[in-house]
Parts: sequence; C-alpha cells; structure tokens
Amino acid sequence: MTAQALTREGTPRMAIWKALLLTLPIVPFAAAALANDLMSGEAQLIEIIPSLLIWILLTVFFFRMLVTGKTHRYRSALFILLAFAVPLYLIPQLFELYGTNMLTPEMTYTAKARFCPMTMGMVILPAVLKGVVIFPGAIVEGIGWFFLWIGASLVIGRGWCSWGCIFGGWDEFFSRLRKKPVVKHVDRKWRFLPFAVLLAIVLLSAITFHPIYCEWLCPFKVVSEFEAPTSLATTVALVIFPLTFFGLVVALPLLTKKRIQCGLFCPFGALQSFFNKINIFELRIDLDKCSQCKRCFRECPTFSLDEGSLVSGKALMSCTRCGQCVDACPKGAMSYHIKGTRIGISPNAARLLFLYPAYILFCGFGANVIADALWRVLRLITTGSMI
Amino acid sequence: MHGFLLGLANGTTCLAFCAPVLVPFLLAEGENVRQNLLTLLKFLGGRLGGYMLFGLLAWATGSLLSRAANYEGLVIGAAYVGLSVLLLVAVLRRKAPAPDACALKSAQDKLGRWPALLPVGMGLLAGLKTCPPVLLAFTDAASIGTLSGSLLLFLTFFLGTSLYFLPMSLLGAFARLPDLRIVGKFAALIVALYYLVSGILLFAGGVQL
Repeated sequence: MTAQALTREGTPRMAIWKALLLTLPIVPFAAAALANDLMSGEAQLIEIIPSLLIWILLTVFFFRMLVTGKTHRYRSALFILLAFAVPLYLIPQLFELYGTNMLTPEMTYTAKARFCPMTMGMVILPAVLKGVVIFPGAIVEGIGWFFLWIGASLVIGRGWCSWGCIFGGWDEFFSRLRKKPVVKHVDRKWRFLPFAVLLAIVLLSAITFHPIYCEWLCPFKVVSEFEAPTSLATTVALVIFPLTFFGLVVALPLLTKKRIQCGLFCPFGALQSFFNKINIFELRIDLDKCSQCKRCFRECPTFSLDEGSLVSGKALMSCTRCGQCVDACPKGAMSYHIKGTRIGISPNAARLLFLYPAYILFCGFGANVIADALWRVLRLITTGSMI
Repeated sequence: MHGFLLGLANGTTCLAFCAPVLVPFLLAEGENVRQNLLTLLKFLGGRLGGYMLFGLLAWATGSLLSRAANYEGLVIGAAYVGLSVLLLVAVLRRKAPAPDACALKSAQDKLGRWPALLPVGMGLLAGLKTCPPVLLAFTDAASIGTLSGSLLLFLTFFLGTSLYFLPMSLLGAFARLPDLRIVGKFAALIVALYYLVSGILLFAGGVQL
C-alpha cells in the first residue's frame, strides 16, 4: 500500500496508522535473531543489542516501504547489508570450528561443510539417478534447505534472487557505485548464458559426480569457504575463484551498472527463472499509462525487460522482482501483479501480497546473519578478536 | 549410464549440428505431428546405425591404446585437449556448419526413389559425422576396451542425445530453436573449456577424472 494510495483513502495521519497496522505481521519475523538469543538462555547483553537493533531496522524498513511506496530503495540496502554480513558471520564461525575456512576433502566428505543452496541444481540429478548426494556437506541441513527453497520458490519465484540470496548483494553493491554506466549495450544473446551454465554444470556434475560449479566457478568462494589447495586442480581453482569474483561481481557490474553475476551467469538464478512461470506474481506494464521512455530497461539490473516487454506488457522470466523498475517508472506504469487479475486493478494490494512472503524470507535468512555479524564487529572493537 | 549422461550433456550441441538438416526437411514435408514423429524416428534409426559403426571403430582404437596403458593419462589428456579445441573451433565459428551438405544432396538424389528411406539415410550420414560430441563419446568408448562396452556406450549416448530430438516433432518447438541454439552453443563452450582444463590437468598428472 503506497503513501499516495493511503493518502487518497484518508488523511496522512490515517495513512501512517494504516501502514503501522500493516507492518504488525512483520514484527515477529523481524525479531528472529532476538528470539534466537533469548531462547538460547545464555546470551549476554552485547549479543542481544545487535539483535535488538536488527529487529528495529527490519521493522522500520518495512514500514518505510509501505509509507513511501518505494520497494527497491529499502530492499537494496538490506540486501547489500546481508551480503556484507555473510563473510563476517561465516568465516569466523569456520575458524571457531576448524581453525580455517579452507576445507580439506575429508572435512567436506564427513559433512562438515555447510550446505549451500546454490548447489541445488547440481545435487538433484545425481541424487535421483544414482542415489548419491554429490555435495555431502551436512545432509540434514541440506534437506531443510531443499524444502525451504521449494516452498519459497513456489511462493515468490525468482524473487528469491533479490530477497533471499545471501550473495546477490555483492554485485548489487558494485552495480550501484557509479552514477552512469560505462558499457551501455550488452548483446541480447548473453541473457541465455545462465541457462547454458545451468545446463552444462548440471550435466557435467551428473557425469563426474562432483559439484562442478562449486569446484571451479563460484565467485563467492572468495567470501566464504573453499577447498584447500591439495592438488594441481584445487590450486588452479583457487586462481579461478578470485578471477570470477573480480570479473563478474566487481568489474562488470561497475562498468554496466547491472547485476552481471545474477543476470548473466548464475546457474541458480536460471533455475529460479523457471519458478517464475508457475508462481502467481509477476511484474506488469500498464500499456495505457506507459510513455515508452524505456527507463525501466535502463534501470532493470538483470536484463529482464526488453523491447518485447513494451508490446507484451510483461517482464521476462528472469525477473527477480527487485522492484527497481517499479520505483523508477515516472508514470507509475510498472507494478507488481497477480496473474489472472486485470492490469491496473489493485496494484498496491498485489505489491503488499508479494512483500509479505518476500520480506519474511529475507528476515528468515538475514536477521540472524546480520545480527551475528554485527555482534562479531562489536566483539572485534571491544576485545580485538571476532572469534 | 555414463554414455546416457554424456549424451544428455551434449544433446543440445548435437541438436544444433543436426538441426540444419532435419528442421528444413521436416518443415518442407509439412506433415502433422504424428507424421513428423515417424520421420524423426526413421532419422534417429539411421543415426543409431552410424553410432554403432563408431562404437566398433572406438573398440578397435581402444585395443591399440591399451598397449600404451602406462601413458593413459597422457593419451586421454591429449585427447580431451584435442576434443575441446575442436569443440571450441566449432562453437566459435561464425556460421553453424551445414553438415555433409554435398553428401546429403547426393544421398537425397539416390534415395529419392525410396522416399520412406530418405530420413534413414539422412540419419546415418548425420550419425557418421564426426562432430565434437561424437568424438567425445568416441574417446570414452575407446577407453572402455571391450566391444560390448563400446557399443553400449554409443547406444546410451544415442539415447541421451535423442531425447533432445523428440520435441522437434512438435511444430511449436521450432519457434524457440534460435534461442535453444544460443543456449546450446554457450553450453558447448563451457563443456569445451571444462574438458580443456581437465585435459591439461590430466596431461600434467594433477587430476584423475
């Protein structure tokens, strides 16, 4: 519900009360980290303070989304915060447990590696065909991830990539640093690359019984865990990881102002795109309002709008529902939409219905991670150590 | 299973290589889905024949290679590098190759008197074409060492690649073919780079595939 819409229904004060009321369902989910601390029963004040701050931050940001009608502005800030929090949360934990973030094959195969949801596409085929889980890190955790991933994907589709992904904020951050892009045109055919990466790594993984993407390509190994260099192959991989990180997550997003890793490479994103086909939400253009200014093209960070969208009135299947085009459209022609309903009818209700599950997903992933990272930073300041 | 998965991995490349022959033929025929499926099955039958011949050849080559067992890493590594280079060249060429166009034309003329056999002949020639995915399967089959294993690998490779051909009997699939070819080309490029790196590492003794 946007402020404009709220204001139409009454006074600004009424609108704020209404936004407050609509924020209430989010409050318990935003308190996930705090609840975790309180349930542990051993949390000290220094641990509770970050959780309390995150609870307030998440609640205030959702409230601001409702009052201002802006989605992307607040989502993006939280999304980037989560991405930066992940290494601060994960790497010290690994050092606490194993004294390193370089995992040996033995540690991986004795289920000491964390299960990464990005492996989902590679894991499924060998598991179905041979009954072998090729990423044997914490199987129980993996099953939990599987059900969470399926559920969230069915509800918000590729919205996962802008609301649930713990790494996507990195290239979003670098894509937002420059005011104008240096590279303005990216050929259409590159949009198919994530599907090719998905196809290649799923099938190569099924042939070799190794998670090929994790072993050779994942740029985010730089900010998480990676295999120790015990052979020529793992040493070569250690050279590739920083190169893919610098190229896909830093340099190209800086030059294009686009989320290159998410939009043009990530195989998990390609997999998520298929969920956009079966999920009820979509981004639509009201062609009666649209002035064909193409600002949405330029703003879309994942190349999910093109000339065809102006004819069909739809975003492409790769849309991550980040809301950037909705925020940017000067005519208010872009909106969240529920499939099967008429265009332009209750866009605010559709947005609100999308925001609830998407924001709950973010709170589920983000609250604990950001609070823990904040606590570790405070710990570093007060004790000189993050561990 | 390995041959089947190898076929699945390279199916889009096979499709991209064979589509210039098959699609115009099916479109020119202008039949319904059922007739197109029948034509496709004939084409695939011919292709299977071509693959079986390759299986036989791979077994013969493998027998020779087994004498150089001490150099297996070097030989297979070099084969992977060679294959990946071929695949890269094929993918990076500006135009998609028109496989065996002259041979097909000639076969079409000869088989023209027996229209029902025409798709079978086309399939056989397409199967005999040494496109990179076939050479990849050839290398794997040669390393098995037994005739039955070699033939079985090519049979399962055929089944894996053939899955991509089945939707072609549906006319709706043709509309998406250019996009599918782009995906196939990129995927082939990634597979080629993977085999190039693996081949170099195998050659250097750094990894055991």
